Amino acid sequence: MNIILNGEKISVLLDINLKDLLGLKNIKEKNIVIEVNKEIISKNLWSNRNLEENDEIEIVTAVGGG
Amino acid sequence: MDLVINNISYKSRLIIGSGKYKDFKETQSALLASGAQMITVAIKRTNIGQSKNQDNLLDYIDPSLYKILPNTAGCYSAEDAIRVSLLAKELLNDNLIKLEVLTDPETLLPNEKETVIAAKKLVKLGFSIMVYTTDNISLAKELEDIGCIAIMPLASPIGTGQGIVNTKNLKKIIHNSNVPIIVDAGIGTASDATIAMELGCDGVLLNSAIAMSNDPVLMAEAMKYAVISGRQAYKAKRMSMRSIASPSSNKKDVLS
Repeated sequence: MNIILNGEKISVLLDINLKDLLGLKNIKEKNIVIEVNKEIISKNLWSNRNLEENDEIEIVTAVGGG
Repeated sequence: MDLVINNISYKSRLIIGSGKYKDFKETQSALLASGAQMITVAIKRTNIGQSKNQDNLLDYIDPSLYKILPNTAGCYSAEDAIRVSLLAKELLNDNLIKLEVLTDPETLLPNEKETVIAAKKLVKLGFSIMVYTTDNISLAKELEDIGCIAIMPLASPIGTGQGIVNTKNLKKIIHNSNVPIIVDAGIGTASDATIAMELGCDGVLLNSAIAMSNDPVLMAEAMKYAVISGRQAYKAKRMSMRSIASPSSNKKDVLS
């Protein structure tokens, strides 16, 4: 199925949750926040949250800034 | 007396930004040299497609030693700033935010209208807001009345290093306020920071002045002393300026 991850359309298998997605994309679980369709999903729910078609996912972190 | 922000006392009145450094090691070294106890970070998309061992900025800042102050950089609307604030709170488990809502990417000047809207909403949601603003005197007061815990008027536009362009306004803002006034943006070199503190500012936030200098770690140290000396000069209450000269040694007993 198609989802949008950090602004880019990607294709993923069905039956994948947020925790799986991080593993798939080689993203460290530490120091990130995940938003799905503009809703923040807390860390303890990542393995429960299955992805759906056209989900818009934002994974953010702290970067340099003034 | 220390600088108190959100019920935490800080000996250092210098806050630095974490942007524009060569790498995270330099950020860390500059932070140490500056003596700052608070450092700002931006909240942006993580880099997809890098290796799992890639460093993160937060790996270089010890949260037991430094207060990490997330900003809402890159936000041009109240809605965006509120969204980023919620993300920052989730990431850092704290309600302290440096709110900045900008007009356009060219000037990076604060969008006064959207800043007020965002500040009202965020204060209502329980955030402690340090708000980046213009040197508009009545706006500074309005933001304080809304409940912002610190007002952060710019010295000059972000990254321009022009120093304080409107000392008169800044003086009035300081005089009118009951919350900390922390100059943010436009500081270019040590003397700019000292002048801000001599005017009576409670603190200074700067980023480019250090990161874009030729020797960031050395400039960070210069800024540490600049802020300390400016604060001491302010507390010492300077001599009056005179138009007529007055000799330093006694007029009597001069050889003739």
